[in-house]
Amino acid sequence: MKDPYKVLGVSPNDSDEKIKAAYKDLVKKYHPDNYAASPLGDIADEKMQEINAAFDEIMNIRRGGAHASETTGSSYYGAPDYVQVRKYIQSGDITRADSILSGVSNEYKNAEWYFLKGSVCYTRGWLNEAFENFQTASNMDPSNQEYAAALNQMNRNRGGYMNGNPNPQYNTNPNAAGCTGCDVCQGLICADCCCECMGGDLISCC
Amino acid sequence: MFGYVRAFKPQMKVCEYEIYKAVYCGLCKKMGKEFGFFSRMTLSYDFTFLALMNMALNSFMISYNEERCIAHPQKKSMCLKADHALDYSADAAIILIWHKLHDDLADKGAKGKIAAFCILPFLKKGYKKAKGRYNALANDIESLMKEQKLVEKETDSSFDMYCEPSSKMMEEIASYLSDDIDQKKILGKFGYYIGRYIYICDALDDLRNDCKKGNFNPLKIKFKFEKKELADEEFQKARDYCLESINLTMAELAENYVKLDQKHFKPINDNIVYLGMKNTFNLIYNERYNKKEKNKHNNK
Repeated sequence: MKDPYKVLGVSPNDSDEKIKAAYKDLVKKYHPDNYAASPLGDIADEKMQEINAAFDEIMNIRRGGAHASETTGSSYYGAPDYVQVRKYIQSGDITRADSILSGVSNEYKNAEWYFLKGSVCYTRGWLNEAFENFQTASNMDPSNQEYAAALNQMNRNRGGYMNGNPNPQYNTNPNAAGCTGCDVCQGLICADCCCECMGGDLISCC
Repeated sequence: MFGYVRAFKPQMKVCEYEIYKAVYCGLCKKMGKEFGFFSRMTLSYDFTFLALMNMALNSFMISYNEERCIAHPQKKSMCLKADHALDYSADAAIILIWHKLHDDLADKGAKGKIAAFCILPFLKKGYKKAKGRYNALANDIESLMKEQKLVEKETDSSFDMYCEPSSKMMEEIASYLSDDIDQKKILGKFGYYIGRYIYICDALDDLRNDCKKGNFNPLKIKFKFEKKELADEEFQKARDYCLESINLTMAELAENYVKLDQKHFKPINDNIVYLGMKNTFNLIYNERYNKKEKNKHNNK
């Protein structure tokens, strides 16, 4: 196996933070989403595995090798599993995606975790939880376009949008103000006042 | 059973409304013929929609004729005559109602228990008949009813989890409407959101009553309502939460609805999906969905 520090392009003397940052950049670069329809997908995939393995190993060394690398997979920072989770979600294997996500302990839940959890809920049809998770993801990382897009769609839907609605002009939102009898009278009285100002009269009795 | 899925009459063409009524009438007569007189009293508009979806997706031979109805014996009205178009809806209706009433018998207050106890014996034969035709469906509904009961015993589940079994029931029922694998999947999702819609409507509709009587209600748990009388702000909070949930649900419902390959009756189904269902929820939201208002809105 290659030197894990070389794979991530860092030195053994670097801080944890620096290694995490380097790891994050590499994950972004080789993320399978970027190579979805490209012949380079396989290579990126291999590279991704290499990066994940290297990061796992460094983290293990730094923790004094307390855990064997197979058993830790799902319970610390980083996205070795998130890539897999995305794959599961895309292939519709929601149960497995969710079981990996629930293995992550609270302190390691980052924006991506909430986004993926939201996607799992969304696929299940648990829309309220999906919305809450997308919201948390977006709050934790407001610059991320992916999270923002998911949240935007949910917000549009919350406002009552429906695809293919042939008559959206009939606003059926109970909170929306419609034209009631009261509004009509008010309008008439206003018009009357205006007329009177100009010397005319609309409603002769008032 | 619930009748929350219904058309919004003011926005219907007269001919569409006639067809809508004719389908209801036809389904009612079909159930009477197939399962006996008492089954007719359990019919709701939800299953009219199921029949309409069935006829929209699959081509059936249908015709209309004028018949008298026991509820309105003085005048003849249009009634749908069809060999097979109504079969599935009638079967699904009796299966769902049978299990629902069984559930009431175990859980509901005295009134519900007596009603269920009186009607159930008359439905037994019909249920067996329908179960003979859709055995898998009947078993799925039965286990989902049990699941619903179990999840409602827990006090720390999320709102979505309380919705799940009921939504799945409708998912099962709707997925039988097509033999095509892709359409089946879409229908399943579509049905899921219909079920979710019904469950949320039911939760808000019963909220005040459930608080008074100390019954289970998912909203009570979500907002930790403990008093018998709900304050207006509390109800406001719950209904706004429901409004958002309904809107989220309806958006997903529509996403699946537009993918369905409807060959007939699309305008009527559009009315139900885009206007009728939202209108029903608005009535519940404004606490105007009691029997009288409902009838005023639809039958006047």
